Amino acid sequence: MALLEVKNLVKSYTDRTVLDGVSFELEEGEAKVVMGPSGCGKSTLLRCLNRLIEPTSGTILFDGQDVTRPGVDVRELRSRIGFVFQNFALYRHMSVLDNVALALRRLKKLPRKEAEERAVHELHRMEMADKRDAYPAALSGGQSQRVAIARALAMDPKVLFFDEPTSALDPIMVREVVTLINRLYLDNVTILCVTHDLGLAKHISDRVVFLDRGKVYAEDRIEHLLARDADPVIDEFFGGEG
Amino acid sequence: MSFAGILLTLLQGAGYTLLVTLACAATALVVGLGIAIARELGGAWLSTLLSAVVYVLRGVPMLVLLFIIFFGLPGVGLDVPPLLAMMLSLGLISGAYLSEVFRGSLAAINPNEVLAAQSMGFSRLATLRLIKLPQMARFAVPGMVNELTTVLKFSPFAYTVGIPEITKQAMALVATTMRGIEIYAAIGLLYFGIYRLLLAAVRLIEKRYSIPGFAQE
Repeated sequence: MALLEVKNLVKSYTDRTVLDGVSFELEEGEAKVVMGPSGCGKSTLLRCLNRLIEPTSGTILFDGQDVTRPGVDVRELRSRIGFVFQNFALYRHMSVLDNVALALRRLKKLPRKEAEERAVHELHRMEMADKRDAYPAALSGGQSQRVAIARALAMDPKVLFFDEPTSALDPIMVREVVTLINRLYLDNVTILCVTHDLGLAKHISDRVVFLDRGKVYAEDRIEHLLARDADPVIDEFFGGEG
Repeated sequence: MSFAGILLTLLQGAGYTLLVTLACAATALVVGLGIAIARELGGAWLSTLLSAVVYVLRGVPMLVLLFIIFFGLPGVGLDVPPLLAMMLSLGLISGAYLSEVFRGSLAAINPNEVLAAQSMGFSRLATLRLIKLPQMARFAVPGMVNELTTVLKFSPFAYTVGIPEITKQAMALVATTMRGIEIYAAIGLLYFGIYRLLLAAVRLIEKRYSIPGFAQE
């Protein structure tokens, strides 16, 4: 059984439909990338999956549980999904260590010492332990993203969502973060990543879900998508790369 | 009256001025924070109601509200002590202004940090307590200092309800000594001294809780 099963997901606002019957599956240990033109509903899709945005209709099965049904503990669901944001979203008033340890202390109710030990372990994994006492303002974009990933991993999530993890970074830092996410992929961390970055998609994904105007236009391996002949939607997005 | 006698009388008045200022500032802080939190956690209906209350309070002259409370309420059987009357007038009006300072400071918080906290499973209350309020307090320092200064400068109204603060003492001294320029200049200096004292206390707290690079982002 898939870890995440999305069936006919719809998100409509009064004036437009952002997601129009999206369906796909994500297996445990799999890394899947969601790509598509700006405004096609990629970020909305991620936010619907952990109920930051309420879907209009459709079903989301996560770890065998229908998380769209009424009465679901949304906060418990969110605590099992790691979410890494485009612009890092680190808490500016907290040190790197506190950023990572906060949820462990407050949500998992671990004692301070244990939470900090676990936080330091994750920071080590992201090669950021030496910055444990620094504040976010003193970090580069790449370092901030590493801390954001450590913060998400510390909660031991079943799956890690990335929302455009490289779009706020310069090319050198992009390489750094791509290498890092690739390492997680090789470590069998289940990943669902929204990105525009073809390089990232090539490095970390088994398959790509290609969205266009709120619908799944194609789902395939990235090399197969790039090899498609005379597909105007795919060609326009990738601009002839591949 | 001797110089030492005049000084002692003014210093006694300064003590009352400090008491009125701190009591009204504490009331303002509680009211301002209460309104800001209620607006964050309450629904649209409560937020609209509180906006209306703030709008009215900001438009009422402080002395009018003070007289309603101190001289008006006894007419319906409610005797309000002078210091409490100051807290319910100056403190309440100042709290309305502070709630606006807090609203602006809350709006300055990066919404992605709030989203990140919610996506980890924090409740709205926990997000407010752990992420929003600590940042809001730091952003609000300049506005809070302004409001504290305003409270100090409105504290002389306390003499109208019988609190012997500096201005009331000075008026009594001028009536007996006829040395208006010296005495009023002296209380001007005393007010300035109290202002500097309060400012130093705020700066000390600000320094204690400062975060490298926080305000520069």
